[in-house]
Amino acid sequence: MSLTTALGIAQRSLLSTGRQTGVVSQNISNAQNPDYSRRSAVLISSAPGARTVEILRATNASLFRNGLSALSAFSGQAALLDGVQSLTRSVNGVENQGSASILIGKLQQALQSYQTTPSNENLGGNVVESARQIVKSLNEGSAAIQQFRGQMDQEIKTSVSELNDLLARFEQANRAVVNATQSKGDASDWLDERDALLKKISAIVPVSTITRGNNDMVLTTQNGVTLFETVPRTVSFEAIPAYSADAVGNGVFIDGVPLAAGFGSNTDAAGSLAAKLQLRDDVAKTMQGQLDEIARGLISSFAETGPDGTLTPLAGLFTWPGGPDLPPAGTITPGLAGSIQINAAVDPTAGGDVNKLRDGGINGAAYVVNTSGASYSALIQKYSENLDKPMTFAPGAGLGENTSVTDFANGAISWLEQTRQQATNAAEAKNALLMQTSQALSNETGVNIDEELSLLLQYEQAYQASARLIKAVDEMLATLLNAVE
Amino acid sequence: MKISFVSNYAVSKALSYQLTSLQNDLMKAQQEVSSGKYADVGLALGARTGQVVALDRDIERLEGLQVSNGLVSARIDVTSTALTRLTTQADSLMSALNVGGNGNTTEVLRAAGKTALETLTGVLNSSHNGEYIFSGVNTDVQPITDYFAPGAANKAAFDQAFEDHFGFPRTDPQTKDITADEMTTFLDGPVQDIFFGPGWQEDWSKATDEGVTNRIGLNETAETTLSANMDGVRKLAMASTIVADLLDGSLSSGAQDAVISHARSLVGESVADINQSTARLGLVDKRIDDANERMKMQVDIFKTSLGNLQNVDSYEASTRVNNLLAQIETSYALTTRIQRLSLLNYL
Repeated sequence: MSLTTALGIAQRSLLSTGRQTGVVSQNISNAQNPDYSRRSAVLISSAPGARTVEILRATNASLFRNGLSALSAFSGQAALLDGVQSLTRSVNGVENQGSASILIGKLQQALQSYQTTPSNENLGGNVVESARQIVKSLNEGSAAIQQFRGQMDQEIKTSVSELNDLLARFEQANRAVVNATQSKGDASDWLDERDALLKKISAIVPVSTITRGNNDMVLTTQNGVTLFETVPRTVSFEAIPAYSADAVGNGVFIDGVPLAAGFGSNTDAAGSLAAKLQLRDDVAKTMQGQLDEIARGLISSFAETGPDGTLTPLAGLFTWPGGPDLPPAGTITPGLAGSIQINAAVDPTAGGDVNKLRDGGINGAAYVVNTSGASYSALIQKYSENLDKPMTFAPGAGLGENTSVTDFANGAISWLEQTRQQATNAAEAKNALLMQTSQALSNETGVNIDEELSLLLQYEQAYQASARLIKAVDEMLATLLNAVE
Repeated sequence: MKISFVSNYAVSKALSYQLTSLQNDLMKAQQEVSSGKYADVGLALGARTGQVVALDRDIERLEGLQVSNGLVSARIDVTSTALTRLTTQADSLMSALNVGGNGNTTEVLRAAGKTALETLTGVLNSSHNGEYIFSGVNTDVQPITDYFAPGAANKAAFDQAFEDHFGFPRTDPQTKDITADEMTTFLDGPVQDIFFGPGWQEDWSKATDEGVTNRIGLNETAETTLSANMDGVRKLAMASTIVADLLDGSLSSGAQDAVISHARSLVGESVADINQSTARLGLVDKRIDDANERMKMQVDIFKTSLGNLQNVDSYEASTRVNNLLAQIETSYALTTRIQRLSLLNYL
């Protein structure tokens, strides 16, 4: 050992302290970046007396995976809840005031005052107006549902192209990681980038990761379809320009395999894509079916059957493009809610005669019931009773098969609110889980400025000590040189 | 290896997450305190939301029924008053007839008969709310033809029946020769047919036999009007017509007595019949009152269960607001203190 060696060691120490300080400053500058993993500069002795600085990146693979699946679950649930809330508002109005159920109640009241004074045409007109409100609510509800399905279709399309884009960027990041690992370089920045991309991808589709040699990553969806392996696989989807009630939307294909839609209000959909498929094909479709059945219930409640009730029932106050025949019983006629209308024969604004509602005969003279006079109320009372009478509904609407149209309309509200309630509760639970896992992960891999500062103090001291050493060696050498002179 | 490591990001994220959820709760609690209901009924009740809507609707419907029952009751009141006027008129015709039997002049009797018939026509043709109340279902048509109007069909039918029976017109001098027995046969035969046979609906009344049926409760209907075709009306009409038409001094005194005694028995019967109809109407009115009473009770029960479903305990809600406010304030204080806590301040 000589003074020169001591000087050399002190110099190297200055260098490594410099690098360590650099890492500290990088850590501090990324303290609020959720995608950043803390680095630590560790001194490693390679040969006797030689120390090199190696940069380690804090990771916790299992927590990270938990975080990804929590993120998928929450983003699916949040998408479902969002859709259900938007449907609730657009179909049933604020506090359900625009719902068919409330409006049927108003129609009942209009019928009640009409039957008290059947000779009063204004009251008959009032019944027609109440019926018009129901028709408007059903038509608009049906249109809103179809528009919603179209909107979901567009959002799915956007998500799919975003996913393809993310996968392309993932390829770059992955390749950079592999290269850096192979050349024993520092891959940390690329690893951060790759993890950030993974989070974005798993908000759209659920991913499982497999890490191979050289830190190369393979992505599959939960049920094993390959999403990325060296190169990204194509995710394909074709949107439909406009939705009608019986239109069937296209599926999303990952590497040729269809992506399953979510199921249930506490949805098993992971990722927003499956939830949007569920909204488009399940939730919105069921709602449309319910509205269609309400429309059918109304048409048949007001059907005319002639004086003895034995003639073929034909559409009365409410009718549809297939009228005057009634829509087939016990099955959903897709789009009926969108096409139900007021029968022009009784609509005063369309030149019809309101009195036909009281007397019968909307479908011709054979159907006239009242031959006695202007205060005949039996037919009006029958219509009002029919609204409360059980009838057969299609099992597909999911609201019981033998109930009155009034109760059925109520059931539709209950169904939607139940879905919303369960979706909200599930979203809260899944959000809490996401918060917890991301906090745990952040605590494992994030930056604590206090710690970085205390490290900085250590490095400062080490730097001072090294500098002091250099100065001491310098003085010693100077003393020696002076002695020689 | 660090066992208890905390990252700055996790700390600030946790603080903001808690604050947002607290503020969200506060907003809901505030709304609940001011409205007394759940901030979001659908979210709070889920599948039971349909019940709230159904109860709301039933309450409105029952209240609507009570309003329409009010209209029906008003019509029944008008009808009862009209019936009272009829019986009063029948009573005064009766007393005139009783006096007339004791040698009163036919002119006085005839005037009494005419008044009775006019009153009868007026009362039966009265309307309420644009509806003729004695028309049965046919409420947009005046039920009774005015006997004294020029060219009235019922007057013509009566004269025709006279001519067909006796073989000479009403104005013929031979009228004087009609005996009491012949007059009785005429009254029991063709005249009876006019008032109690098909002639009544042809010439006298356009009313239907059935009255207006109204729904007075959710599952209850009642016939709430009377028809001008009821027996009491026909009898009173017949009595006053024969008195007004035949007692014009053209008959022999025997025939006149036959008419008077016939009219007397008819008026007596008609009063009994009309009183019976009044009683029946009273029963319907009572049913409506009962139905209203029942519906009021139902509405109360429905309102209670609606309240149980959607109302929040406002005391509990305001306590919640206070707690949340305290919690949020603590959270603010904590946030500033934690944010201030940094090694930087000590270096």
